Amino acid sequence: MKRLNPSLVVGGVIVGVIVLMALISFVWTPYDATLVTPASRLLEPSWSHWFGTDKFGRDVLSQIMVGSRTTLFVGVVAVGVAAVIGVPLGILAAMVRRWPSEAIMRANDLLLAFPALLLAIMFGAVFGASTLTAMIAIGIASVPSFARVIRSGALQVMRTEYVLAARAAGRRPLPIAVRHVLPNVTSLITVQASVSFAIAVLAEAALSFLGYGTPPPTPSWGRMLQESQEFLFSAPRLAIFPGIAIAIAVLGFNLLGDGLRDRFDPKLEDRR
Amino acid sequence: MKSSFRIRAVAFVASAAVLALTACSAGSSTSGGGSGSSPGGDQKLSIGLVAEPASLDFTTTDGAAIPQALLGNVYETLVKQDDSGKIVPSLAKSWTVSPDRKTYTFDLVDNAKFTNGKQFTANDAVFSINRVKTAWTISLKAAMDVVASSKALSPTQLQVTLAKPSNDWLFRMTTRIGAMFSESGVSALATDPVGTGPFKFSKWNRGDSIVMVRNDDYWGSKPFFQQITLKYFKDATALNNALLTSTINVIGTVQAPEALSQFTSNDKYQVIEGTTNGEVLLSFNNSRPVFKDLRTRQAIRMAIDHKALLDTCWAGRGKLIGSMVPPTDPWYEDLTGVAPFDLAKAKSLLQASGAAGKTLRLRLPTLPYATSCGQVVKSMLEQAGLKVQIDQLEFPAAWLTTVFKNADYDMSIIAHVEPRDLGAVFNAKYYTRYDDPTLQGYLAAADSGDEAAQVDNMKKAARRLSEQAAGDWLFLLPNLIVADKNIKGLPTNAITENFDLSKLAR
Repeated sequence: MKRLNPSLVVGGVIVGVIVLMALISFVWTPYDATLVTPASRLLEPSWSHWFGTDKFGRDVLSQIMVGSRTTLFVGVVAVGVAAVIGVPLGILAAMVRRWPSEAIMRANDLLLAFPALLLAIMFGAVFGASTLTAMIAIGIASVPSFARVIRSGALQVMRTEYVLAARAAGRRPLPIAVRHVLPNVTSLITVQASVSFAIAVLAEAALSFLGYGTPPPTPSWGRMLQESQEFLFSAPRLAIFPGIAIAIAVLGFNLLGDGLRDRFDPKLEDRR
Repeated sequence: MKSSFRIRAVAFVASAAVLALTACSAGSSTSGGGSGSSPGGDQKLSIGLVAEPASLDFTTTDGAAIPQALLGNVYETLVKQDDSGKIVPSLAKSWTVSPDRKTYTFDLVDNAKFTNGKQFTANDAVFSINRVKTAWTISLKAAMDVVASSKALSPTQLQVTLAKPSNDWLFRMTTRIGAMFSESGVSALATDPVGTGPFKFSKWNRGDSIVMVRNDDYWGSKPFFQQITLKYFKDATALNNALLTSTINVIGTVQAPEALSQFTSNDKYQVIEGTTNGEVLLSFNNSRPVFKDLRTRQAIRMAIDHKALLDTCWAGRGKLIGSMVPPTDPWYEDLTGVAPFDLAKAKSLLQASGAAGKTLRLRLPTLPYATSCGQVVKSMLEQAGLKVQIDQLEFPAAWLTTVFKNADYDMSIIAHVEPRDLGAVFNAKYYTRYDDPTLQGYLAAADSGDEAAQVDNMKKAARRLSEQAAGDWLFLLPNLIVADKNIKGLPTNAITENFDLSKLAR
């Protein structure tokens, strides 16, 4: 029986906990995460408020729970956009002749030159700051990394005997891409999605911190960090709790990505 | 694999530490960019402010940030307000008013020069007054409508005739509409202002700072500082951090009052706390059907616990006012009791008006007090039975276009810092779209009557606004300034449109 991969297990558990927390927050949180209660402002952690309250008297634990929804939402949107555009582009670049392939990849390089945060800020300025616009921008900025990884995998698949046989049998390119290439690069897609998920979570936190991400009062871990700035000296816990949540979430998705890569590529695991 | 996992665990701890450090230093890292204009020699000063002007032309662009920077510093007026609010000479040495209170004769200084080298004369004053009526586009220009004619009796004597007596006109001449321009200096007002003031405009690093240098040909007392830089920060904590790291010498208006303790407990800094004209208004779009019903407007006022709101979003600093008049105006009355916090009554009023359950769009400018108070307002109104959707609009450009010009909003939050601005803010043409003939009657009577009638009618106007719930006055902004201990001449109260830089010294 194959030995369990610790990265996969720990990453899976962390991601599972975040997903569970997000699901629970739909039906229950200790307090209403957006209810302002001036009488309860800036309370220290206690049995009634495990992580204390913020300057609006909102329960920090409840905000972190609801904020995990935002975190997962941004990951799904950003990775979805990146995968839907990047994967077909990567496979196409691997299957077409030399100069169209070069054109696709150079356009890809051009997009790579745009920093993701800058692109998101530009989108925010044009379409208005929201979680969705920020994440579409982050997704678009992640397209090149998907396309590059998938192209390299697809190039290997294109040289396999079964693809050569399919081509010799007169199969058209689209069925080859869908039936032979795509299934053989799914492991790459999964790994890349997991890593991109972590990047998107961090990007949303950064954008919300800068005021270009999730608008108030929707709870978001990045916004919580931003709002805690005034209290770094008087109530540092307000920065520490969302900071730890972001760090753990990013670690979880990265570990999951590493674990999946090891799982799908046993040769790599043997080399370690 | 084990070692790899250990490495990742170490990496996690490191990343958590980095994240915590990032949070701790975040304010300074977003400090509005480096301009290279950090204070150097003794005669340079850097002041941190929050809202950057959209343009340098206040004749066609609204917003308080332009006169804050330029009025009294680059541009001068014939008369100005002193610290107590009294009208005192500036470019006019003295003036007389005819018995019918319609003709004003000003004796002008004879040694003032524009920064383009032209002498200031009565002809420039005539040109400037006429130009308000013909070329200005901002709504505040309406205060000049009362002028029937103006003429230069001599190079140093100006006569202005009003169509009817006006208590307000001379006071308005202390504000931006009274700024004196050179006929040959108005071709590029948005980028190259030309005035007679103690400072010359030097350069504008958009998104970062405006630099002014001392006008060595100034006709009056020359300012102490050779160069003053106004640096703009969107982030309140970045503004505080800029002072802590000596990037600036003065925080012109503190935007993170919760963090003030880091300055009060430090001997290096002085903290000045006074009052302002800045009424933080929860404005209603009175042209929207939902706001036509008085009960809905009153319910919104009663649903807000103003004391709790002030404590929560502005650390309890500021003053509750209850109408559009600050305590420094002669007709101030405490009207906070007109619509006291009463959640049960607010709920029943909303039920009666049929507004309960309706969604209102609260469009907020990206200013710290608006973002902070907006969340409190939303929560309090939702407890009364309304639904509130918050939209953030970039300030100034997006907010000015969407809310101020197009009135595409239900509610907004903004501080109105113009002095004596009750009539300017609450009329059918302004973004509040408040059309009330009774109010206009009080304002007209206040403007044309004697001094006692002015005070009496302005009190009636303020009470009318409060009782009709034309908006909700959340609180009056405090004048919170933090500066290096050795900076002198900082104002305790900010009751004019401008930040007077000429009195500052070290």
